[in-house]
Amino acid sequence: MSYYDIDAILTDAEKIPCTFQIDVADLGYLDNQPGHTLKSGSRVALPIWLAEMLAIANTGAVVMDDPSQSSKSFITFDLPPALGNDVVQALKANPRSVPLRDQSAHFYALATHMMELSEEPELSAVLRKTFVSRAAEIALHARKVGGGGTSYHGRDGGGAAGKGKGKATKEDNASNLGVGGAGEDFLRGLDEWERKLFRSAHDGTKASKEWMENVKKR
Amino acid sequence: MALPLPPGLTQNEVAFLAEMEMVTVVPRQRLDSIDLLGGKTPQLRPPHRAQLPLWLALLLKKQRRANIVPPAWMHPASLAEIIHRETKEDPEAFSAPPPPPSRALYSQPGTARRLNHHASYLDDFTQSQQDSQQQQQQQQQQQQQDPNSILSPPFLPSNVAESPAGYLPYHWLEVAEALLTHAGDDMPAPAGEVRSLLRDLVEVRAAKMRSSTSALEGFGDAWLTLRGVGAMELAENRAFLAGLVDGVRKIGASAEATRREEEEEARRGGEYGGDGDEDSDEDMGL
Repeated sequence: MSYYDIDAILTDAEKIPCTFQIDVADLGYLDNQPGHTLKSGSRVALPIWLAEMLAIANTGAVVMDDPSQSSKSFITFDLPPALGNDVVQALKANPRSVPLRDQSAHFYALATHMMELSEEPELSAVLRKTFVSRAAEIALHARKVGGGGTSYHGRDGGGAAGKGKGKATKEDNASNLGVGGAGEDFLRGLDEWERKLFRSAHDGTKASKEWMENVKKR
Repeated sequence: MALPLPPGLTQNEVAFLAEMEMVTVVPRQRLDSIDLLGGKTPQLRPPHRAQLPLWLALLLKKQRRANIVPPAWMHPASLAEIIHRETKEDPEAFSAPPPPPSRALYSQPGTARRLNHHASYLDDFTQSQQDSQQQQQQQQQQQQQDPNSILSPPFLPSNVAESPAGYLPYHWLEVAEALLTHAGDDMPAPAGEVRSLLRDLVEVRAAKMRSSTSALEGFGDAWLTLRGVGAMELAENRAFLAGLVDGVRKIGASAEATRREEEEEARRGGEYGGDGDEDSDEDMGL
């Protein structure tokens, strides 16, 4: 994760639900009560970069008569709704049918960041399965989308006419079926990591196709 | 960011490298040996076959000075066999790469040893040769090829020119495309038939490449095996596979860190009161 990585910066700006553990004077405007004190126990959505700091740091106060009050952290945080139980259950059921982008544009980055802050062994396993099974689907779309199907179309030698052409049209139809309708919805639901993956897979296929077409010219 | 080119070789670079592979040609005209960086080419005498680098063979073919003998694996029967193996016999794995070149051991009939595995095979060979004439030939061979040299893929004759039927060499797609395009009339079958078989093979293997990723789903012993994958397929899928594995690594990073901490703790518990060589262990962990 680089300092200049725009995705890392945007991920850090994602908001997660936090609960204040202490009263803070004059911060009431965060909870739609301008001019008042922000009471402990009120729930506010804070960006990750801030929540992380506040959750790790503590007040450092020493309260002699009540030790439980001394030096507790400013806030506690929960998992954001994008990683909530509903989403995890849906991912367990069928990873391919969940539009991750609707949950968060930086779904995986957010999830890994959250897993660094708090331990979620189950979430990690579910995400891994999700990522891998969706990747296979992404690779399929990356190969089929744009230019109608495989790298070989349109370059049948004259001799191959009969068998080759019949096959190509069949594949064309198949790929169009895959991309239209459900395929488009799937591609719209990709998060940033998956988009990168799609792009790299598509670039590879495209470069191969260009090479194929150039063999003849040399 | 700074470099517009992705890591690894591009398709054009791979195709360029593939032109160093050896193919067999039947010359139509005499041609003296040419002194090239990679060694001398054999003298071309019309009825005799010779092995030339692909680029030179294509050049001669375009000038109608030679015909190219397509490698055995490009025969339609061989391609059909490979497709059958990839789809029916073992739908999970890629078909194996060609076996390394080997030669029968003269001292032990019925056994063979990898060629160039180590140099001692020549000793066996020499001992068993009683005939002085054959020994002369042997010495000639030794002069031509230093026994201590290990052949590397570009100059391995078994890779294309002598690759057996039923195996795909590393540069199969590039070489096949080049031969089909420029030497289509030298094919054992109509070029269209070979081309359509080749296209089927490409599709089968591309689908296999996609489904092979599912091996990464589980934790623990999950890996991707790319044995038998050709250079062009690697160039095409490198960015995708690297991105995929990197994503899996990032998702598992925190769980992995936890696991390591637990292991570390367990070891410390076991070594409690031990000799205190934890520092060196930590060095290893890094």
